[in-house]
Amino acid sequence: MRKVILWLSLVLGLIFTGLAVAQPTQAATVDNSLQEVKDKGTLVMGTSPDYPPYEFLVNRGGKDRVVGMDVDIAKKIAKDLHVKLVIKQMSFDSLLVALETHKVDMVISGMSPTPARKKSVDFSKIYYRGGQSIVVNKTDAKLYKDKNSFANKTVGAQTGSIQYDLGKKQIKNSTVKGLDKITDLILALKSNKVQGVIMEEPTAQAYVENDKGLAMVNGKFHLGDGENNTAIGFRKGSTSLVNEVNKSVDQITSQNLTKQYLADAGSYMKVNTKNTSMWHYAGYFGKGVEYTLIITVISVFFGILLGTLFALMRLAHNPLVHSVGVAYIEFVRGTPLMIQVMFVYFGIGLFINIPALTAGIIAVSLNSAAYVAEIIRGGINSVPIGQTEAARSLGLSKNQTFSSVVFPQALKNIWPALGNEFVSLIKESSIVSIIGVTDLIYQLKAVQTATYKGVLPIVVAMILYFIMTFSLSKVLNHFERRMRHE
Amino acid sequence: MSKMIEIKGLSKKFGKTEVLKDLNGTVEKGQVICVIGPSGGGKSTFLRCLNLLEQPTSGQVTFEDSDLTALNEGQLNQLREKMGMVFQSFNLFSNMTVIENVKLAPMKVKSMSSDDAQTLALKLLDQVGLKEKADVYPASLSGGQQQRVAIARALAMNPDVMLFDEPTSALDPEMVGEVLKVMQDLANEGMTMVVVTHEMGFAKNVADQVWFMDGGVFAEKGTPTEIFDHPQNERTQDFLAKILEA
Repeated sequence: MRKVILWLSLVLGLIFTGLAVAQPTQAATVDNSLQEVKDKGTLVMGTSPDYPPYEFLVNRGGKDRVVGMDVDIAKKIAKDLHVKLVIKQMSFDSLLVALETHKVDMVISGMSPTPARKKSVDFSKIYYRGGQSIVVNKTDAKLYKDKNSFANKTVGAQTGSIQYDLGKKQIKNSTVKGLDKITDLILALKSNKVQGVIMEEPTAQAYVENDKGLAMVNGKFHLGDGENNTAIGFRKGSTSLVNEVNKSVDQITSQNLTKQYLADAGSYMKVNTKNTSMWHYAGYFGKGVEYTLIITVISVFFGILLGTLFALMRLAHNPLVHSVGVAYIEFVRGTPLMIQVMFVYFGIGLFINIPALTAGIIAVSLNSAAYVAEIIRGGINSVPIGQTEAARSLGLSKNQTFSSVVFPQALKNIWPALGNEFVSLIKESSIVSIIGVTDLIYQLKAVQTATYKGVLPIVVAMILYFIMTFSLSKVLNHFERRMRHE
Repeated sequence: MSKMIEIKGLSKKFGKTEVLKDLNGTVEKGQVICVIGPSGGGKSTFLRCLNLLEQPTSGQVTFEDSDLTALNEGQLNQLREKMGMVFQSFNLFSNMTVIENVKLAPMKVKSMSSDDAQTLALKLLDQVGLKEKADVYPASLSGGQQQRVAIARALAMNPDVMLFDEPTSALDPEMVGEVLKVMQDLANEGMTMVVVTHEMGFAKNVADQVWFMDGGVFAEKGTPTEIFDHPQNERTQDFLAKILEA
């Protein structure tokens, strides 16, 4: 029991030290937000491009890029500020964290300035006013008139969105199913997991126009201040930047530029949906496979390197080294990879600005290291002590004994287990898509958004994952046969 | 004759169990010592204390004028090179071929070139009659062959003394002879040897000294003739009587 308490306090101690260090030191006493943007010459926009016509991906010449009304607005702002626009894609949920942790300068993602959000975010003036609609299957369109028709039914909305709250609060006895991506919500609608999906009117319009099987219903929600409006989000205390951006927003409003922007977006959507064959999106999938492989290969490399290190630490006689090894392995194995990915990207990102791909690789490597460490420890323990004794009696040092005799034999023993770890790494690396790394899962969502097709891209991605894991298994089997010395 | 190994007041405890009790003895250069006695008497532990695979609880082991118990890790490695050891379970490195097993230590510890080590290894494998098995893995060899490779591997470091820990106990009876033959040849060449064994014939014919060990002490020491023909100690008599019955 005392040992357990000792461990807990050690692990918790490590976390709190980490947190104490992680306390953001950027208490914005002086507002130089505008100056900062001008100094670095770039304006970084965060957005979740699955929300046509606000923002979505189009495929041009094999490359995907973000377009939509919000992008046009961001371009205008950047132009007015005389800086270059940089677009960072990530899930809607991650946007505000990214803002807080200086990953992005502003968030334009069809976001409504609610009182709750205003507590942690500064908003620009409203640039667009729209209603909230509910998208339904066309076959059921007659059943629904407005929000009240959905009493006792299940509706879908983006997690963390206004629509989610509206569904919870204003539809009687409803169940609201929250998913991260609109494309997934549409898929849920089509497979009758939900009866309707609440989204902004222009977005609903876009989906209905591009999918003959869908229809839309005016929600007639009671919309409070800010709930049917969209504005640009900034870090708290960026008054100078907000004021400058408001000048651009004023122009957009007075010249009614959004109308033109929406028309532009509509034309992109036509281009986008002209060709919905999966071959047309081979480039998306190819890039996804490439990133998934990059992440996996690098993570396997560092996983083995660090895993060996942590295994040796855990096997060490020095109690401090041993404890650190055990604490690391147990802590990493005891927390979800998803949280680790977010922690590395957003948490460590407070101090050093690491790109999403690097953050993803670091998190997956560190995670894999813990599992590999345990496999290696098992492998080392499985080598008979006589092998070590024979080597030591010949005058080999501890290190020579380990590298020439024990480790090669351990590796042979653990090869199948290690192989399993690598195969599952290919699959588990998909978690990094939440921070916007363009791996296969991310591209799958992009294709879903672009084609308005739900299932087919999933099938393609599934087959691609299988090809990767199956090929890897074959390669590993080959080496396993070669290591058999009999 | 000069002293090769001197044991003074050697004791070893595992937890509260005292396995070796205040042992003393001297191994002269060129001598063959056979340690015999009933199982569980501490013979193997004694042998393993000689090259410090087992750390003695107290006492001294002096090898060529160095007190092993007082050395640091690096110095100990240097002295271990000169003390070849052969184990009951062979302990050949399973991830290496026969010749790689023999070459490893000369190359790693003495920084010998691969070519020189190859020549040396082939010579030693020839000496134990296994030159043609140089490139196979240990798992494909019989026990007797593996043990002969293990002897060649130990000889590759050109040791001053060879320690044998029941080298034939894990072998099928028909293979005991080939290993004992190699050991006998070594003894004839003047190698200093300490052999823990149950092969009374070998002890009788080859040993200069026989140390009878029981209950963690040397109950009796003497020449083969003294021990086998005129044992003085009751326990020695008892042990030999049982062996002869079998």
